[in-house]
Amino acid sequence: MTKKEKKSFNQSLAEWKLFIYNPTTGEFLGRTAKSWGLILLFYLVFYGFLAALFSFTMWAMLQTLNDEVPKYRDQIPSPGLTVFPKPLTALEYSFTVSDPRSYQGYIEDLRKFLKPYDLEEQKNLTACPDGALFEQKGPIYGACQFPVALLQACSGVDDPEFGYSRGNPCVLVKMNRIIGLKPQGEPRIECISKSENTAALSTYPPNGLIDLKYFPYYGKKLHVSYLQPLVAVQVSFNATSSTVNEVTVECKIDGSPNLKNQDDRDKFLGRVVFKVTARA
Amino acid sequence: MGRWGTRGTVTPHEQNPSPRPRRESNTGKRRKTKRKKKKTDLEELKKEVVLEDHKLTLEELSAKYSVDLTMGLSPRRAQEILRQDGPNTLTPPPTTSKWFKFCKQLFSGFSILLWVGAILCFVAYGIQFHQKEEPTKDNLYLGIVLAAVVIITGCFSYYQEAKSSKIMESFRNMVPQQALVIRGGEKIQINVENVVVGDLVEVKGGDRIPADLRLISSQGCKVDNSSLTGESEPQTRSPEFTHENPLETHNICFFSTSCVEGTAQGIVIATGDSTVMGRIASLTSGLVVGKTPIAVEIEHFIHLITAVAIFFGVSFFGLSLILGYGWLESVIFLIGIIVANVPEGLLATVTVCLTLTAKRMAQKNCLVKNLEAVETLGSTSTICSDKTGTLTQNRMTVAHIWFDKTIYKADTSEEQTGDSSGMGKTFAKGSATWFILARIAGLCNRADFKAHQETLPIAKRATTGDASESALLKFIEQTYSSVKEMREKNPKVAEIPFNSTNKYQVIMVTGDHPITAKAIAKGVGIISEGNETAEDMAAQLQVPISQINTREAKACVVHGSDLKDMTAEQLDEILKNHTEIVFARTSPQQKLIIVEGCQRLGAIVAVTGDGVNDSPALKKADIGIAMGITGSDVSKQAANMILLDDNFASIVTGVEEGRLIFDNLKKSIAYTLTSNIPEITPFLLFIIANIPLPLGTITILCIDLGTDMVPAISLAYESAESDIMKRAPRNPRSDNLVNHRLIGMAYGQIGMIQALAGFFTYFVILAENGFKPSDLLGIRLNWEDRFFNDLEDSYGQQWTYEQRKVLEFTCHTAFFVSIVIAQWADLIICKTRHNSVFQQGMKNKILIFGIMEETFLAAFLSYTPGMDTALRMYPLKLSWWFCATPYSILIFVYDEIRKLIIRRHPGGWLERETYY
Repeated sequence: MTKKEKKSFNQSLAEWKLFIYNPTTGEFLGRTAKSWGLILLFYLVFYGFLAALFSFTMWAMLQTLNDEVPKYRDQIPSPGLTVFPKPLTALEYSFTVSDPRSYQGYIEDLRKFLKPYDLEEQKNLTACPDGALFEQKGPIYGACQFPVALLQACSGVDDPEFGYSRGNPCVLVKMNRIIGLKPQGEPRIECISKSENTAALSTYPPNGLIDLKYFPYYGKKLHVSYLQPLVAVQVSFNATSSTVNEVTVECKIDGSPNLKNQDDRDKFLGRVVFKVTARA
Repeated sequence: MGRWGTRGTVTPHEQNPSPRPRRESNTGKRRKTKRKKKKTDLEELKKEVVLEDHKLTLEELSAKYSVDLTMGLSPRRAQEILRQDGPNTLTPPPTTSKWFKFCKQLFSGFSILLWVGAILCFVAYGIQFHQKEEPTKDNLYLGIVLAAVVIITGCFSYYQEAKSSKIMESFRNMVPQQALVIRGGEKIQINVENVVVGDLVEVKGGDRIPADLRLISSQGCKVDNSSLTGESEPQTRSPEFTHENPLETHNICFFSTSCVEGTAQGIVIATGDSTVMGRIASLTSGLVVGKTPIAVEIEHFIHLITAVAIFFGVSFFGLSLILGYGWLESVIFLIGIIVANVPEGLLATVTVCLTLTAKRMAQKNCLVKNLEAVETLGSTSTICSDKTGTLTQNRMTVAHIWFDKTIYKADTSEEQTGDSSGMGKTFAKGSATWFILARIAGLCNRADFKAHQETLPIAKRATTGDASESALLKFIEQTYSSVKEMREKNPKVAEIPFNSTNKYQVIMVTGDHPITAKAIAKGVGIISEGNETAEDMAAQLQVPISQINTREAKACVVHGSDLKDMTAEQLDEILKNHTEIVFARTSPQQKLIIVEGCQRLGAIVAVTGDGVNDSPALKKADIGIAMGITGSDVSKQAANMILLDDNFASIVTGVEEGRLIFDNLKKSIAYTLTSNIPEITPFLLFIIANIPLPLGTITILCIDLGTDMVPAISLAYESAESDIMKRAPRNPRSDNLVNHRLIGMAYGQIGMIQALAGFFTYFVILAENGFKPSDLLGIRLNWEDRFFNDLEDSYGQQWTYEQRKVLEFTCHTAFFVSIVIAQWADLIICKTRHNSVFQQGMKNKILIFGIMEETFLAAFLSYTPGMDTALRMYPLKLSWWFCATPYSILIFVYDEIRKLIIRRHPGGWLERETYY
């Protein structure tokens, strides 16, 4: 120990070689074939047993679940707000009025999204009475009609380009689906432009009203053709002459005491902020 | 040249050949050359001492040092010499600065692993910072925490060692010593440090010799040279030249020995570092000491863990590239996996465990100077003991007796001698068990009283044999009946000797004469009965010693002077072929050679000693043990451990504690490493299966630095599973602290079960909240997208980013709780490596406290209001606490069965593959 001999490079290389395969003992990586076989068999059996046990407990757990309603819903007491079409980067809509290709994607997205709202598609749905919760006992759950005409200028019927070609783009705002949610009061979506003088906002249906008849939601399995109520926001820029128009819009759920619209951490709980940039 | 040898000889004065060496006053210049010379100096110091001054006549002496033998030096001359030679003090060993010591704590062994981890974290954070606008700060925090752990643990162990060294400093004799010198015919008292070469000095009984002296007159002077030679008998000193050997001759007195009685006058022939004592002290401080066994073990452990970490990291790096991740992302994964393998809390756990043992040993009067030495004694395979006196003093008495399930106090006070009727009060003498016990203690006992002591009280009679057997003998003689009669009635038929092969080897290394040494060695059992040396065999067979095959003799007595002519190979031969070895008449240098020889053969050597002559060997030994009361300062400086009460039996305690902490550290590490697997696998599945992350960095740290700490430390309080003193000392080459079997158990088996427990809880929570397992696969990219705020679950509900993150953090909390629950079972199975828990019992109160503590801590972290913002941990529903229990039970049952099979089939396949 007094003089620690420094192993030469060749020596340690030879040691490594011997470790990888030792021809005298037939050891490969420090174990013989039999030893490798036994230890691998051990772990095969061990892990096989563990996998079986895990599968069994998972199966048992899944048996306790209800297919229609999740066991707990307390993690989402209040819905978030989201906008449509989905912009590519963050929440910024940016397009050039004179270049149809710049907004082609948005329009296609909107058309696809509004497909289930076609009059044809809604034929089988119930025409529910306005202004009251549409509570059902089952076993068959009907969905209320949402006539696309409610979206007026943003319905895509009169203007298949949703205002983009005229520099007055439409953005759809929707509330997240939550099973069993019953809004109180008169929920509506209120949108304000952060810069009042550059753009005016119009919301359809008027006042951004969300009718209570679309609640409660009974889940994907029971409530098959359920249609989410939508609110459209149309941005009309005041100065049409300027080359670049920009506006930041904030939409909030209002008028319902049990739907939150303010949370320090969750910027999308009952509100949504987006920016629209339209170039001439 | 006598016994003190010619193994290359240098006089102390060769370094300053003339009595008035022309030392340069320019100290700065000297310091420069000092470094270069250091190596050669050490080699010189290892050679033997030669002095010529004792052969000189008084006239020659007077001429050599140009001093008047009655008037002494003139004060002016003395001043001049003092200026040239410097003060008469020993250069203190080069003290490492406090900062250096602190840095050593920060950058040694385990700490390096954590530092590397911290640096990797910062690198990963740097990459993420440049890559994304808003990087997750996890890596930054993790890096900071790792660095903080190293620094805090470093401060802690530095503080612990500083405390021991403070006790050390208190030993130092701060009173300035005085010396009586005659200068210019006047007797003056001066401080010892002002004594110069050539001074005429007068010493009397009780004085310490101020420097190496050549006596010119004496009146009944006797000196105690024990601190230098180990011989405790006071020796006569007179002006006559009686022996070639300067250490034997009567006319030389040595620095720092003491004058016991009488008076003497002498001329100073060497001062400070050039004295015989000074040379030994310099030799000691110049020696380079190797790593402690535990440091070697920890290094081995780090190699293993690094290999595992790199294996994991690289294979998943490749996998993530194959799965189509980008280079930078894969590098971050690689770093993440490697860092996840670092057991953050283990450094602190090991330090605390060692500290606890150090404290326990300090209570038993063993002061350990550095923490790592705590374990060394447990690994010791060879003890070189010098102080035969302490061996012979090794007396034991019976204090308590345990029979019929009751502990009785044994009263062996002297008033009770011969009056056995008085014993009835202390214990049930009428019991049949006592009768059997007494017979066994008396008959199965090899100790015996020496002849002609019948008049002495029993407690004072001298005995032959082992200390514990002697104690039993005396006790039985006192309380029961005459052992002699008992033995006459029951003659010995056969003897099954007490198994002593499993013990560490004790080599006696002494300054005593070979004949005395051999006698003592036989007396204390170093040379056991029936074992003969080659000389004994020759005498018995009446043949010359050359005809005896020395290998047949188990015992052997080697004279120091023979040692100096031996080559290293010859010494190895002796150490290998004899089990019972006595080295007699050894010089400090030879002791050093013996220690080095044992170490060369792979032994872990403990050396005990109290004299200055022992200090080089103490320093070189893996663990040097010095005596607190009789030991010299130099020896205490050189030693790693100090027996504060000089009780040799404390060493046995030390061995026991050392072995126990080695076992318990194994358990502690096995426990801590297990939770590494449930900490790594979530990240791996996050990468491969694209599921939401099941366990986050903060929760990992909560386990490693929170819940796992107290339980891991509590294993240090675990009692031994079997009689650890009956085991052979561990083989440092094959018996490692952490081996592949431990890693296999912790990572491959128990860790995997724990991981499943965590994943099960994770899937339960997600499924019960709406995300069924089948829908989770591949969800990662959408799940992690901040602007995807209507992610649909299996029931058609839509979740915002934050809502599902809260759910994810709830899963982290639950995964964390599941690990805690699985760790309960792990802690209980880690209590034992061989026995069943039902055999071991649950007597470890700290361990029970540990289980409660981790549970409360987990509940606290989950339920305290504000934890959601502080640590992002969320309250759990009661049912989620129980998801892990089947797996916890499985851990317990699996390991109990494994241990049962190991007990049933000793040496079987399962033992070879899983017994750590």
